Amino acid sequence: MSTLTGHGLTVALPAKWEGRIYLRDTAPASRFAHVAGRGHPGERAHPVLHVANFPLPPGRGDFGTGAVERMSHAHVFASLFEYDGEEAGRALFGARGLPVLHLRDFATNALQRRLAGQLGVQRFFTVDGRPFCLYAVLGSSRNGAALVGELRSVLATLRIEAR
Amino acid sequence: MTVLVLILTVVVAVLAVLVAGLLRAYGTVLRRLHELDAGAPRAGAREFRLDATSRPVAAPEPRAEWAAAHDVAGVSVAGEIVSTRLVGVEHDTVLAFLSTGCASCEVFWRELADPSTLRLPDGTRLLVVTQGPELESSGWLADLVPPGLDVLMSTEAWRDYEVPGSPHIVYVDGRTGRVRGEGTGQSWHQVAELLARSTGDAAFLTGGPSIAKPGRDAEQEAAVDRELMAAGILPGDPRLYGA
Repeated sequence: MSTLTGHGLTVALPAKWEGRIYLRDTAPASRFAHVAGRGHPGERAHPVLHVANFPLPPGRGDFGTGAVERMSHAHVFASLFEYDGEEAGRALFGARGLPVLHLRDFATNALQRRLAGQLGVQRFFTVDGRPFCLYAVLGSSRNGAALVGELRSVLATLRIEAR
Repeated sequence: MTVLVLILTVVVAVLAVLVAGLLRAYGTVLRRLHELDAGAPRAGAREFRLDATSRPVAAPEPRAEWAAAHDVAGVSVAGEIVSTRLVGVEHDTVLAFLSTGCASCEVFWRELADPSTLRLPDGTRLLVVTQGPELESSGWLADLVPPGLDVLMSTEAWRDYEVPGSPHIVYVDGRTGRVRGEGTGQSWHQVAELLARSTGDAAFLTGGPSIAKPGRDAEQEAAVDRELMAAGILPGDPRLYGA
């Protein structure tokens, strides 16, 4: 078990799980940022957490572009994306606390980009005034229940500090 | 005339002494060479023996000679906080310990900047590790590191792998969680050749799926060695040669 901590986020990673926390890129774009992970002028930088049970490549998009293409049927990926604090009061982020995911929540039409066999889910919520989106991808529905269980146990260790 | 005969006799005697000395020296050299070539031991030299009481020789653990590998955590050049897994995973990892200050690393940085020179077997990951931000120049690194190359700054990883200096390459077997090979090289190309030769996997030079002669040969050889050692048969045992 290893612990990943940064920008007010802490998560414990069991065997085989990797994690990366970065501040979303702000203009001018860094050459290390994936084109799908570049911010816009004036944007305030907020953290993004990626966890997966496979090697995470550098330069991923905020919702896993560059990583999800490498997934096999036994892999699972999740992105925790923080939005600006001003969004916290909006209806989209009305749910309180980290959602608990189930296999039935995952669907092919919830993917950012459809990839054969993959299933996704997206949930918006707020924790201590910090608005987030949790986006998760399963490599396939085969062993889906076990993979979701694994992801759930990782997310159960997630600690979000108040701003 | 008598004087001339006497002088010739003396000269012949002196030459005979010289020839005898040379022959003796030649004989000594031949004897030493014979000893080195598994011949009779020198007087006083200790002969290698097996314990006659024949205590059972414990079979070594598989790959016990390999050092334990470690997961690597650090910070990327872009400031990303990273935790990677090298131990107990399906993929193997090549760790390239480099620095911005070492002249011999320049070739590596140049080669790694060109993705066409980077060929690894499918499923093998390359992780470049520099020392942490407290010991390494982040600014220089940002200029050196090409996008897409996975570079972590981690002084802890240098400590864990007891890196003697840079460049230093470590090949980690993910399934066993052990170091499978390590050393240095003059270029990435040279390191790739060494990896291909030592693992028997040409995909270190060509990329793509493993072109094995995989670890199976080495595993079989190690298994045979273990069985022989367990039976008390060590290298040099006459029974190995049908005696």
